[in-house]
Amino acid sequence: MRHYDKRARGRSALVALLVLIAALAIAACGSDDGVGGGNSDSETEVAKAGPAKGEITISNWPAYMDTGKDNTVNEYEDKRGVKVDYVEDVNDNAEFFGKLRPQLEQGQSGGRSIFVVTDWMAKQMYDLGYLQELPHDDLQTVFDNILPSLESPSFDPERKFSVPWQSGMTGMMVNEKLAPDVKSVNDLFDPKYKGKVTFLSEMRDSVPLVMKANGVDVDNATKQDWLDAIDKLRDAAESGQIRRFTGNDYNQDMTNENVVAAIGWSGDTSIIENEDVKWRMPAEGCILWSDNMVIPKGAPNTAAALDWMNFVYEPKVQADIANYVQYVTPVAGVDEVLPKLADNELIFPDDEFTKNCSTQPDPPGSKEDQQEVTEAFQDMITGQS
Amino acid sequence: MTALRRRLIPYGLLGPGAIWLILFFAVPMYFMGEMALRSGSLDTGGFTFTWEWQNFSDALSGSNEQLVRSFVYAGLATVFALLIAYPLAYAIALRAGRFKLLLLFAVVAPFFTTYLIRTIAWKTILADASPAVDVLQFMHLVPEDGRVLATSGAVIAGLTYNFLPFMILPIYASLERMDVRLIESAKDLYASSTKAFLRVTLPISAPGIVAGVLLTFIPAVGDYVNALLLGGTGQSMVGNVIQSLYLQQRDYPEAAALSFVMMVAILAVVVVYLRLAGTGAFMGDEDERQA
Amino acid sequence: MSGAWRWLRRNALLLYAGVAVLYMLLPIIVVGLFSFDETSNGKLDYRWSGFTLDYWRNAFADESVNEAMRTSIELAALATVVATILGTLMALALVRHKFRGRGISNLLIILPMATPEIVIGASLLSMFLIYGITLGFTTLFIAHVMFSISFVVVVVRSRLIGFDRSIEEAAADLGAPPLTTFRTITMPLLAPGIVAAALLAFALSIDDFVISNFNSGTTETFPLYIFGVSLRGIPVQVNVLATMLFVVAVVCIGLVLWQQRQAERMAAVRPEAEPAL
Repeated sequence: MRHYDKRARGRSALVALLVLIAALAIAACGSDDGVGGGNSDSETEVAKAGPAKGEITISNWPAYMDTGKDNTVNEYEDKRGVKVDYVEDVNDNAEFFGKLRPQLEQGQSGGRSIFVVTDWMAKQMYDLGYLQELPHDDLQTVFDNILPSLESPSFDPERKFSVPWQSGMTGMMVNEKLAPDVKSVNDLFDPKYKGKVTFLSEMRDSVPLVMKANGVDVDNATKQDWLDAIDKLRDAAESGQIRRFTGNDYNQDMTNENVVAAIGWSGDTSIIENEDVKWRMPAEGCILWSDNMVIPKGAPNTAAALDWMNFVYEPKVQADIANYVQYVTPVAGVDEVLPKLADNELIFPDDEFTKNCSTQPDPPGSKEDQQEVTEAFQDMITGQS
Repeated sequence: MTALRRRLIPYGLLGPGAIWLILFFAVPMYFMGEMALRSGSLDTGGFTFTWEWQNFSDALSGSNEQLVRSFVYAGLATVFALLIAYPLAYAIALRAGRFKLLLLFAVVAPFFTTYLIRTIAWKTILADASPAVDVLQFMHLVPEDGRVLATSGAVIAGLTYNFLPFMILPIYASLERMDVRLIESAKDLYASSTKAFLRVTLPISAPGIVAGVLLTFIPAVGDYVNALLLGGTGQSMVGNVIQSLYLQQRDYPEAAALSFVMMVAILAVVVVYLRLAGTGAFMGDEDERQA
Repeated sequence: MSGAWRWLRRNALLLYAGVAVLYMLLPIIVVGLFSFDETSNGKLDYRWSGFTLDYWRNAFADESVNEAMRTSIELAALATVVATILGTLMALALVRHKFRGRGISNLLIILPMATPEIVIGASLLSMFLIYGITLGFTTLFIAHVMFSISFVVVVVRSRLIGFDRSIEEAAADLGAPPLTTFRTITMPLLAPGIVAAALLAFALSIDDFVISNFNSGTTETFPLYIFGVSLRGIPVQVNVLATMLFVVAVVCIGLVLWQQRQAERMAAVRPEAEPAL
């Protein structure tokens, strides 16, 4: 017995059409033409300073703030009388961008006054017109105390829109017992470690390190250099040399010794519960990056935001943060406050230690070129030809 | 009850849920469809609507490998889940007596802890050097120098495990209403256990099986997180590609187009499956009873 | 020897069920085990280094975990109730009535399950923004109900199919109005299906990540919190709370059942009161 006869089918189609029209009508009430393109044609706002009061919301990465009753957030609330809603909802630059973009597109920040993103993401957001500019006159403490090496980075030479929160180094995590001779990123391609090696899925960490190991100067690399490095990674992935491309989940693999050498971040040694695993500076140098505080368009209470930035750049305040976070602090003078940590080259690396390191680069060329490189890398990761 | 009232009842029952779905699913889907026909890029002036049907063909040609793989993984996971879940649901529904609800809860409650915690636990259990993997190697289920994690096997196992409640609950629900005496009477009529099962139990549980298969297969195809955490470099599924297109490449039109392609493919498979299973088991048309 | 073999065959199903239950509980057992693990920094590591009760003693020390878990449970409970009601009604309509638009309804129900979460999440977000709805608990609630309805419908429907209507017809023959029949006969018989559907909806909601990530604003649910802290180490309290959640859920049901049994026993012992004539 036929379930639908012709008339019923016709009626169903009519109902479908009506539902579609209804949906279209609702949707048309608030349409979004020309998605994207950003607000770059609108005025670049400069964050307004003023007396710090009221409340602010700060979005940051997890474990970037010391804990306990007298942590820095509470300290700030007490000293300045500003209520802080500190939210740790930045897990990944691309993910954070993905969920904030629709709001930033409309000039809203979702209530946030500050959020913290890595160099390249800050630049992309600025280029799209999502960020406010920072008035240096109102950030005295910041620019008095900022490390000289961070004063003028290539992605924001005049520090117009970003203030570093913490810096870090991308290099290699090595199990010294099982892979003692891994000294350069090229060693990760050694067949005797087949299937026991991972790279980061972050393009701007993995690819520049491979380029450096090939002798390329990453600051002057061409698009072809990037693509060649991506090809090298692709071959290694297809042959099974590279086990996976990871986010931070390489930590568990290294603890369990599924992986003996990986590209990893300098501050992660405390998470890996395996005494044999150490962070190693690759022979050809590491990649330096910072996570930066930025003020988005539509941020409420920019006065308190600027005040917060000044507050955390006081060496004594920063010392508490640096002590907990164990990444590279951007504030000068903290090593005097924390003499015990002053020798830790992962927290206070000296110029000798980082002499071969490069700041995290973007793919060169126009936006189209960058898109091409990004696409090539992503295709490689998802196994597309 | 007037005739008009009686005719309006189904719409009244259907109404609230349908309105919720239309408002909060159909309308967003319209936006997604509209986005799928745009072109451009975020950095160079935004996306404009240009009836870009090419997005669909690009999506299909670029990701056919991942599409096929997703269907294979999801299909295998569904089969394994069915094989594991059916006897368990049977045991709970028909043999557990007064403990059945307790057991049901006990079996589903582990899935209240988040996916990541469960997966971390599995990764601990199945680490390359763990005793569990040694046993598997001893049983030759895993090659001597092989591993469990970062393989297709791990992804399929992850999919199977995480969708087990989706298979168990519907089968339990439809088996539970079976009167056990039906089996007894079948046996009184000299049917063997197997025959009794095939002619009595299986047909009664058929709606539950169909429901479980759909609830497992359909979401499993679009899954990305199992391949992300348990897979290696050759196990990407369609979900991973869509994630990458949306978040990393910010190619919203192609992400939307690929999503549509995937959804249509899923619907096609579902239609074929329902044809084979008999729509009565799914639609429950009162006139279409199982033979 | 053959006696043992026969015993095995007769109890094969129960043995299998035992193994299967163990398999399903394996991760939570490991989670529970590691909640007693001594760690050097209070964060979950994946190696056993000694037994300690510290984390159980300080189970609620980490406020962000507690808050995230509280939010998730509230959200899941609320969303489950609404989704189960809406879904059950829809299932009733679809199975028991013939009406125009069944095909469309089926499509509307299947499509959400087939749509990748990131697309649902992102499209919902855009829509919420356009209509100016503030992101937070409300938007999470809306989203969670939305994706749970489909699952509820499919589960309840499978219970409804092949439902023996003769009991209901008998009640009608005895003069019971339709609503009473529905309340006293249909619903109780339907109950296991509804409970199963509600369990599924609850599990879906409490585990959702992608859609919640896009639509939560600054509200934090448990999965969002976990994915966040997994970046720099998960506090062991998470394992403690997860184990607690599991134990509490199972114990609650156990208590309900035990109390039911007590009630049944009392009813069997106490003489029936004669209805007044």
